[in-house]
Amino acid sequence: MLAILIDGIVQGLQLSLMAVGITLIFGLGGVLNLAHGQIAVIGGIATALLLAAGLHPLLASVLGVLSAGAFGLIMDRTILVPAYRYQGEERLLLGLLITLGLSFVVNGFLDVRYPTVALTLPLPTPSFTVGAITVRTASAAVAVIALAAFALLFAFLKGTLLGKVVRSIMQNEVGAGLCGINSGRIRTLIVALSAMMAGLAGVMQGLFSSLGTELGNEFTSFALIVAVIGGVRSVNGTLVAGVLLGIVNAYASYYVGAYLTLLILLVTAAGTILVRPQGLFAFRT
Amino acid sequence: MTANRPVSGRAALSAVAVALALVPLALGGSAYYLRIATLALIFMGYTVAFNIIFGHTRQLFLCLGALAGASAYVSVVLTMKLSMSPWLTIPIGIAVAALLGGAFSYVSVRRSLGVIFVGIVTLVFSMIFHNLVLGLRDWTNGETGLETKAIAPAVLSGGLPSYYAILAVLLVALVAYHLLMRSRAGTAFQAIADDELAAELAGIDVTAYKVFAASVGSALLGAIGALHAYYGGFISPTVFALSSIDIVVLVALLLGGMGTLLGPVLGGILFTLIDELVRPLGQLNVVVYGIMIVLLVVTFRHGVVAMLGKRLKIRLP
Repeated sequence: MLAILIDGIVQGLQLSLMAVGITLIFGLGGVLNLAHGQIAVIGGIATALLLAAGLHPLLASVLGVLSAGAFGLIMDRTILVPAYRYQGEERLLLGLLITLGLSFVVNGFLDVRYPTVALTLPLPTPSFTVGAITVRTASAAVAVIALAAFALLFAFLKGTLLGKVVRSIMQNEVGAGLCGINSGRIRTLIVALSAMMAGLAGVMQGLFSSLGTELGNEFTSFALIVAVIGGVRSVNGTLVAGVLLGIVNAYASYYVGAYLTLLILLVTAAGTILVRPQGLFAFRT
Repeated sequence: MTANRPVSGRAALSAVAVALALVPLALGGSAYYLRIATLALIFMGYTVAFNIIFGHTRQLFLCLGALAGASAYVSVVLTMKLSMSPWLTIPIGIAVAALLGGAFSYVSVRRSLGVIFVGIVTLVFSMIFHNLVLGLRDWTNGETGLETKAIAPAVLSGGLPSYYAILAVLLVALVAYHLLMRSRAGTAFQAIADDELAAELAGIDVTAYKVFAASVGSALLGAIGALHAYYGGFISPTVFALSSIDIVVLVALLLGGMGTLLGPVLGGILFTLIDELVRPLGQLNVVVYGIMIVLLVVTFRHGVVAMLGKRLKIRLP
């Protein structure tokens, strides 16, 4: 029982890590990134390729996460530029279509170029015992890394001047611009940061089980569900929603099967948009 | 600049009808190319429907495949399980699609969801549909799909008869579209596409017209979906997946030109030609679709119809 709970929390943290990127990019850039799961896969596959080239796993992971970040940076500075020229609805629509197209490009390319590449990062000790329960080392490692990433993110957003700038743009882009903030540069920074967090989540998938090229769409849909339920403008909400969804997912998969679970999650997401579009757990940004 | 000479909708419709009716002759009896041409007609039909929903009333439905598939599955499963005539079950399928589309539209307009949230809700519905089809194995046979050859209406079993039957449906849809756009509803759609708030203030019932557009479009999606199911010979979740229907339709509409009569037709033709060109690439064709969406959205947002109009100094419908 407790093992399922731990599994759920850990998976939820991984989901949140991806979803928070969607939230940040949406809140700051006004673009719903439908290629977010694909970025996670890029991070994971890059790590796998570097591992195969003989690099140390830790170094390979760091470089994999960085390459996901680089992809995000390039995406922001090239194909999203036309979307940023517009405001409001128009930008949302353009951004949605562009990232949808991008997700197909990345998916198709990875499927054809690296059909057999998969990332697995086995740890030296598979599990350890705390009191009466056995914990998988991978789960513990993922939880620690994800929590550290979130702690850093919150410290950045709440504690630094740059973080304050980021939050000001999320509240009002025009207002921030009037105060002399160059929102374009901050946006690039945040997109790259979000892409790195997605890449990290992709590498984590390799720790638990294995990450192949086919997971991109699944990642995107789960991250989207979490971001929607948590509130597409609320970072706190996304974290809470991710962990809760992870727990629900773990217990429901155990009791009613994966198929019904996914249906329940999808219906919850659709219901959330209809009942409370700002998100179930949207307290503050 | 001199005023561009307008081309009447009737002339354009006749030209389309004659040109498409002559296609089988030009193909010289090749069954392979006839099939591709027929599938192109089916996709033109989907695109006409999406044009009404998205091109005119800005409702981004990302569940075209799911709506067409819902109609197709309802019709095929009813025909198989209750051994009803397909002629009876196709209208039921169409009604299901129209009700679903109308319901999405009603809920989104009522909750005043932005274009993006309509996109997410319908995307989620796509996933729900996909999972339901996979899960309700007893009825839908899961990933393997169902054979529809044995129960298809006679007219949809031969090569040439199917082509002309589907062409007839497409032409009816185009004529209906043309008449719809010249009616009061067409003017209302125009106003809604230009500025929704202004339309509302001018006394147009935005909710009613948006729901109407979505229902009509979804009904057409359902009709074409059922034809697709019986003509194609088998249905599976992959036939109606997001990447097999929605993406193609999106590309075809952007290519042809949103909110135009000829856009879906020209877009469908161009897309089919491009698709044939990239066929040697195999699975990489998805990459080409993706690149096309990005390029079209970024650089070519008005489509071929607008471009041709500018070049030839005429105003195309």
